[in-house]
Formats: sequence, structure tokens, C-alpha cells
Amino acid sequence: MFKNHLKLAWRSILKNKLFSTINVIGLSIGLCAAMVIGAIVYYDFSFDRFHPDSDRIYRITTVFKSNDAEFSNRGVSVPLMRTFQEGVPGVELTAPFFNTSFFKVENREADLSFRNAENAILADDAYFKLFQYKWLAGESKSALSEPGQVVLSREKAERYFPHTQMANVVGRTLIYNDSIPVKVTGVVADFEKKSDLRFTEFMSLASAKMFDGKDVASNDAWNSTSSGDQLFIRIKDVSSVPAIQSRLDALALEHKSTEPWAINDERLFVLQPLADIHFGGKHGDYPFNNSDHVASMTVLKSLAFVALFLLLLGCANFINLTSAQALTRAKEIGIRKTLGSSKKQVVRQFLVETFIMTLLAAVLSLVLAPVLLRQFTDFLPGDIDLSVLYSAKGAVGILVLVIVVSLLSGFYPAFVLSKFRPVLVLKGQFSKGDKGVRLRKTLTVFQFVVAQVFVIATVLVGKQIYYVMNKDMGIKTDAVAYVYLPWSNNSDVKKERLFHQIKDIKGVSNVSWGNNPPTSNNTSSSILTYYKDGAEMHQETEFLWGDLSYLKTYQIPLLAGRERLNDSIREYVVNETFAKALGFQNAPDVVGATVKLDTMSISIVGLMKDFNQRSLRSTINPMALTGDWGNGGYSNFRSIHFDLGKDTGQWATSIAEIERAWASVFPDEEVEVEFMDETVEGFYRRERSTMQLLKWATGLAIMISCLGLLGLAVYTTERRVKEIGVRKVLGANLAQLNLLLCKEFLLLVGIAFIISVPISWYLIHEWMQSFAYKTSMSWWVFLSSGLGMVIVALAVIGSRTYRAANINPVESLRTE
Amino acid sequence: MLLQLNNLFKWVNSGGQRIFLLKDINLEVEEGEFISIMGPSGSGKSTLLNVIGMLDGFDEGEYHFLDESVHTLKEKHRANLYKEYIGFVFQSYHLLDELTVKENLEMPLIYKNFKGSERKAMVADMLDRFSIVGKKDLFPSQLSGGQQQLVGIARALISNPKLILADEPTGNLNSKQGEEIMDIFKQLNDDGVTIIQVTHSEKNAEYGSRVINLLDGRMI
Repeated sequence: MFKNHLKLAWRSILKNKLFSTINVIGLSIGLCAAMVIGAIVYYDFSFDRFHPDSDRIYRITTVFKSNDAEFSNRGVSVPLMRTFQEGVPGVELTAPFFNTSFFKVENREADLSFRNAENAILADDAYFKLFQYKWLAGESKSALSEPGQVVLSREKAERYFPHTQMANVVGRTLIYNDSIPVKVTGVVADFEKKSDLRFTEFMSLASAKMFDGKDVASNDAWNSTSSGDQLFIRIKDVSSVPAIQSRLDALALEHKSTEPWAINDERLFVLQPLADIHFGGKHGDYPFNNSDHVASMTVLKSLAFVALFLLLLGCANFINLTSAQALTRAKEIGIRKTLGSSKKQVVRQFLVETFIMTLLAAVLSLVLAPVLLRQFTDFLPGDIDLSVLYSAKGAVGILVLVIVVSLLSGFYPAFVLSKFRPVLVLKGQFSKGDKGVRLRKTLTVFQFVVAQVFVIATVLVGKQIYYVMNKDMGIKTDAVAYVYLPWSNNSDVKKERLFHQIKDIKGVSNVSWGNNPPTSNNTSSSILTYYKDGAEMHQETEFLWGDLSYLKTYQIPLLAGRERLNDSIREYVVNETFAKALGFQNAPDVVGATVKLDTMSISIVGLMKDFNQRSLRSTINPMALTGDWGNGGYSNFRSIHFDLGKDTGQWATSIAEIERAWASVFPDEEVEVEFMDETVEGFYRRERSTMQLLKWATGLAIMISCLGLLGLAVYTTERRVKEIGVRKVLGANLAQLNLLLCKEFLLLVGIAFIISVPISWYLIHEWMQSFAYKTSMSWWVFLSSGLGMVIVALAVIGSRTYRAANINPVESLRTE
Repeated sequence: MLLQLNNLFKWVNSGGQRIFLLKDINLEVEEGEFISIMGPSGSGKSTLLNVIGMLDGFDEGEYHFLDESVHTLKEKHRANLYKEYIGFVFQSYHLLDELTVKENLEMPLIYKNFKGSERKAMVADMLDRFSIVGKKDLFPSQLSGGQQQLVGIARALISNPKLILADEPTGNLNSKQGEEIMDIFKQLNDDGVTIIQVTHSEKNAEYGSRVINLLDGRMI
């Protein structure tokens, strides 16, 4: 029986090649999207799930509340670690560690030297109790209990000790940072499964003092939080969470900052389950300092929605086409039934057919999936792949998907087909007013609503991105570049030497000292105090460091007052927003005012024009330009900014010369010249990946919808061949016939447009809320998207109606 | 003379063989004639009718309609020609199911660019002439076969054609309905309309003034 089903199903698929092709392609687009997105979602959900008792492992992080704003920090203040080490009820194990890096590691026996050892942490034995590594040599018990001990990953061990057996690595000595001898006590393998814990060098916590690091035992800085200071705990059981949380709340309250400016601030310690770390918790932080990817629930959810819609579009297509085609199969089913087939058997036969078709589509999508995945590599982590699809788990997943899709798309048509009454069908009295028409029209409208929403969203998102990338930020962005000096080993002499060498390069002008560029993701702010009519005013102010040429380099106009007298004088140049924030109706009046930073009095000598300090998601904040003072002896001038001039042909030479100058001053450090316009572009990486995704979703949605429309047009024109013949005999010309046939489809597309406008308006309106600067949602975007859709639809339908209208009526009216 | 066919051939190639559908047809039709084409199934009756109606082409020979040489005309001119002068009546009526009687009648006029008011008047006229005013808002499925054919004829006549081509107009009707339809044709012929019908029935053929017998595509 089943074999018979299979054979018949296969034949009927072959018989209707056009419909089968459209169906398979439509389904495979949906399936392909579902598979790729499934693999992406699976990837992000498979991090750090393998640790023993992983459901009892938590990280403690910090959340700061200031007025209405909330910030988070994945680290905690060091004394909190000590409190936990001393014992907190409900906590079974406390494992603190510090992210760090070493500027030099030497294997003196082999005369090998390595720079910038990264992905390193300072940890103690508790770390290896909490996270169980596979030990290739040495043992976990006391590997990190003494000062001067280090555990290496296999990769690091092979690097530091080439051609050495792992067992022989243990016991050898490495020299860190020129002078610190450290003994290797173990070698561990990397986790085989996916993990965010990508550390390769584990220095004992007891060595912290040797590296000028923070000492857990003595550190008392309750109000200093660094993102690299990590505190992991394993709790006894989940029921102890509330007790631990209340202890954390108590500690936070007890050690609240007493500084006057912190009066409105609140600090919370928060328990973060291990499973949450990959998703960045509530605030979307990266899992660790050395992570390069944080999964976003919002992104995964929107991806899942895209997959769902594309799948539904494919199913809608299938239902549409097959129930439309039902008429042509009526006779077959009539005969079947007179020969004794039950309704159930017809349904089963048909479902088998659908299943086979879906299976074909699944095979096709497996082939297409890598192609689709490649389109998203820009914003996906590099090691993501589709191997999960080929695993046992993936195979089961795909099978379930195929079954669900075939039921979803096959059930209704099967039901319709099985209802045919054989007597009527065979007598040829088959009624033509079939009831499925309304359903099919509804499905077509649904398809086009989805496609249209995607189109409008893509255009509007594109428009917003174009807007923010091209809006004048108030600073010169093209041809301006900057280079950060190395963190260490940068004496004033070397700095000056580099500065002057760059200044002498031909084509480079307006060279200036500064810290961050005027527009960046880094900010530094403090509270300035201003006395106004006897009342004290506190104003949070962002600082921008720069020398006297800095404004010129970025072409920020000075509106009133003057530049500071020199780089070390305590004078500010402020922006217009600052002046307004202090209550100056007429901004230039701010010149001459005096503000206080802590106890220092600083006079405001100039007013600069407002510019955007960050991406256009944020508004302009009060800001002060300041010289190089007040950082406890450390210099704030950490970068050199310059203009490469108009002659773009000259740039490559200039940059090569800058790199040469750098190499002569800092031979051991790498140089990176950063361009201002690229920095600005970088702000919108997320938006551009959204755009990429939208473009694909739009393309696929349009494709599926048009396939569906094509199928429907084929069906309708075939059904109306007689009518077309009659009309033609009665004198209708080609244009009139085409219009007649297209009209009803265009009506559907029109209805879809009307429905999609408010939906897409709402969606984009919500999306734009994250921007302080918004492009307008112009009516022409909607209109032209709609028109575009009509044109595409017309092209699709037209190809069929033209053919239908050209059929010789003699053919179509031959007496039945 | 209304139309003239000279040495007209029509064939199809099938399996390397040339099968003749029409063979050396020579026919002259004067205005006001009522011609019946007869012959067994497959003898080429309908093909000949379609060729005369310009719905179908031919492979060899000449066809003159009024002063035009049809065989030299382009598709578009041919369409204009039959739109202007020829009306069709079918065995299975070929009314459009989703249009009412009135709308079915109106359709040819729309394609001939008559104005709305004119169309209304002409439709009303025709409904009156065939006494089907009461049925004007019904759909074809609500009518009997005879009534449907009546509408079919009315539709063929509405734009005042010179020639009516009828392909077994009574084939789907019972004898009484058939008689009524033939009476109408007779009457139309008396009013000056040229009619060519394809028929199987001797009795129906007797209504005409001339009978053409076909066998295997040849006139005998």
C-alpha cells in the first residue's frame, strides 16, 4: 500500500513539473532559512552547558543606577571576593579570577621570547574545581596554590616549549615581564565543547603581588569596579539564591560610596546564572574581557521570526497551489473513489505526496544552506558552522521540521481533494465555484503583506542608516586619522619624537595631541560644580582632551571667547549644550564663568560649537575640552590626530611614512592608524547587519510570494481559457484581456499593501526609537515600495496572462 | 458577393505524414444566403467554419471577404474584420458564467468601444427583440439550454453582423427548443443576415438555401 502511495506520489510530482518545481523551491527557501537560523540559534544556546553542576554556577556582577540610567559591569569590587572567600551561607565554592595580560614571556632555556601574552587570568585552585578541564600534565589539586605558578593550555604550552612532551613542560620555568620567574605546574586541554571561557594561561592568584596586580587578601577598594575582576560561585542548591541575594544587597548598602556626588547613585550586586553569560544578561555585556561575541536574545528572536515567516510563506504557497490544482486532479480522485478508496486513503496518499515534496525541498535546502550562511558571516561569530545540521540531533530536528511543514501545508489540500463526490466528478458536473478561492486569496494577501512589510522595512532602515552615516556630525570626518600610543614604555621623549616626525611628513597637516577622537564610544565624565545665584549646581560633564590644535584638526569652530593659553593651564572650552545646561540662555555668556572640579576652580574661556560625541543614537551631552593636567602625573595625551589632506593619492605614502616613523620610535609595538570616517561607520555595524539580514529576508519573501503568484496566475489563466476564448471571439484585444486577468491579482497586492503600511510603520517606528536622530518616514518610501511591488507582481502575472491571451480561441473553444 | 474561397488547403503534419483537414475548397457565398455545412464527424465542418470565421488560418489558397484578401491581412486587421462583420453562435453557447444575461449581451459592444448609453439602448433592443427582458438579470446557469442559446444568438447579433456562423447551434437542445432556434435563424435570414451553419440534422439543413457536403475535408 505504502509503496503504491510512493510510486503514485512520485509520478504525480513528475507530471506537474511546473507546480512541483514552484512548490519545492518555495518550501526549500523557507526550510533553508529555518535550518540556517536554527543552526545560529543552536550555536548560541550551546555555550557552557557541559560543566558539571552548571545550573548551580553563578557569576556576581554589578549594576549601577544613577538617576534614571542603569549601567552594568560584569566585574565586582575586589573586597567582595574576599567576603565570599571567607564564607557566605549557601555558597559551596568561590572562584574569583582577574583578566590580565603579560607584555613579555620568555623561555630562556630555548632562548625564546613572546610578546603580549593574551587571554590570561590570575586564578586559584577553586577555578579548576569549578570548571573541569582535562589535564594533559600536572594535576589540578594544588597547581595554583603558591606564588609563581602557571598552568598553560596545550596551545600555549606548544608555543612556549616547542617539540616538548606535555609531561616535560611541567616543572619548567618561564620568565614573565622581563624578571618574574614562574614555574609551569600543569597543562590543560581546551574545552572540546563551546565555551566563553577562552583562557589559555592561568597564573596563580597568589602571584598577583609580583605583577602589581590586585590582591584579594588586602584590597579594600569597595567602590572600584573593573570588568576583568570576575567572581564565580557554586551554590549549594537553587533554593539558596534568595538568601545569597539578600546578603549581596546588604553588602552593597553597607559599602555604599559616601562621596557627595554619589548621593543619588545606587550599586547592586546581581547573581547571573552561567547560562546567561553568553547572552550578556540584562545589559548585553560581552561575556568576558577577551570575548568577541555576545549573543543577543533580541537578534535571535528576530531571526526566529524571519525563519518562521519564510516557512509560513512556503506553506501558504503550497496550500495555494495545490488546492488550486485540485480541480485537475478531481477526475483521478473520482475514479479512485469509485474503485473503493476511502476518504482516509485519499488523504493519506496526498500527505505522502506532500511529504516527498517537502523532503525534496529539505535536500535542496541542505545544499543551499551554506550559501545562505555565508551571507551573514559579517555579523556572526567566525566559528559558527552548519555541522549541527549533519549531526544526529540535527537530523532529528530536520525530520521533525519536514513532518510539521508537510502536515501544515498538506492537510488542507488533502482535505479538499478527499471531499470530491465521485458521481458528480465523473459525470463532468463538477461545480466550478469552488470554495477554496477565498482561502487562496487570503493566503496570497498574507504572503504579500509579509513581503511588503519586509520591503518597506528594508528601505526605511536603509534610509536611516544612510541618514546617520551622512549626517553632519559637526566635525571633519574625512581624511582625518589618529593613532593611539602604546600603553606602556611611552616616555615623554619618545612621544615628542614621534609627534615631530609625523608633523614633518609631507601632506600631513594639523597634527595635534589628544586622547579619544571627538566622536567615539569611549567617554569619561565628572561632575562639575557651578554656583549660580548663590545656589550650588552639579553638572555631569564629558571631557575631551586635546591640545591647542585639536579643534583645528577636526574643524570644530570656536564660537566665542578664546582658546586656552596653553596645554597645562586650568581652563575649559565648553560646548553649547553645556552652556544651556548651566542655564545660559545666550550660550556665549558662559565665557568667563568659573566652575569647580572637586576643589579646583577652573575658568571657562571659550565656547565651541556642538558636535555629536557618539553615534546618532545618542543626543549631544554637555562637554568640556581640557588640556593635559589633573591625572595624577599621568598624561592624558595618548594619541596623535592629523589631517591627511585632500590628495587621496598621497594618503598611502603618508601612512607608510607614519608607520616608518612609529617603527623607529616604538620598534616593538604594532601601529594602527585609524580613520575617523571608519570609526563613525563602526558605530553602525549592528544596523548594517540588520540591513543585510533584511535584504535577504526581503529577497526571499518576494521570491516565494512571486512564485505563489505565478502558480496562481497559471491556474487562473488555465481555468479561464474558455472565457478568454469567448471574449476574444467577441472582439477583445490583447490589452483588454491582460487588464482583465491582472485586475484581480493587483487587487490582492493592493489590499496587502494597505495592510502592510501600518504594520511596517509601527515596526520601524519602534526600531527608530533607539536613535536620537531619526530620518523622516516619508510617504514616498511607502508609495514607491508599493509601486515596486505592483510592478514585480505585474511582471510575474503578465508573463502568464500574455500567453493565455494569445491562445487561439479555436483551441480553447473546441466543443467539449 | 460576401466571401469567396479559392483552392483552399489546410493540413497538419503528423508522424512525417501530411494529413489534410481541408482539401481544395472552392466556395462563393452571396449576401443573404443561408448555407448548411453537413458531413460525418471529422469531415472538417468545424474547421471550415473556423477558417471562414478567421479564427483559424489555412496553409494554401485564397480567401476574399468583401473587398479584403484575408490571406494577405495581418492578425490585427483580420481581428478587426471579423469583429465588425461576423457573429458566432456555439453548440455549447459559451456564455460567461459569472456575467448576467444583460452583461453577456453587452460584452461585444464594450470591445467595439460603444458608449455606455448606446450600449444600454442596444442591449434593451435585443432583449426586447428576443423577448427575454424578464431574464436580463439572471445568470446563464439559471436558464434552460434553449434560453441560453437564445442569449447566445442575441449576443452574436447585437453588433449587427453581416454574417452569422453557427456551429451546431441546436446540438445540445431538445427538438422543440431546436425548432424554435431554427425558426429564429430563418427569420434572421429573411431580414437579410447571411448565415452559415454546421449541422448533423437533415431537418435543420432544410431551413437553408444551400447545402455543402464535406467528406474527409473535401467538398462533394
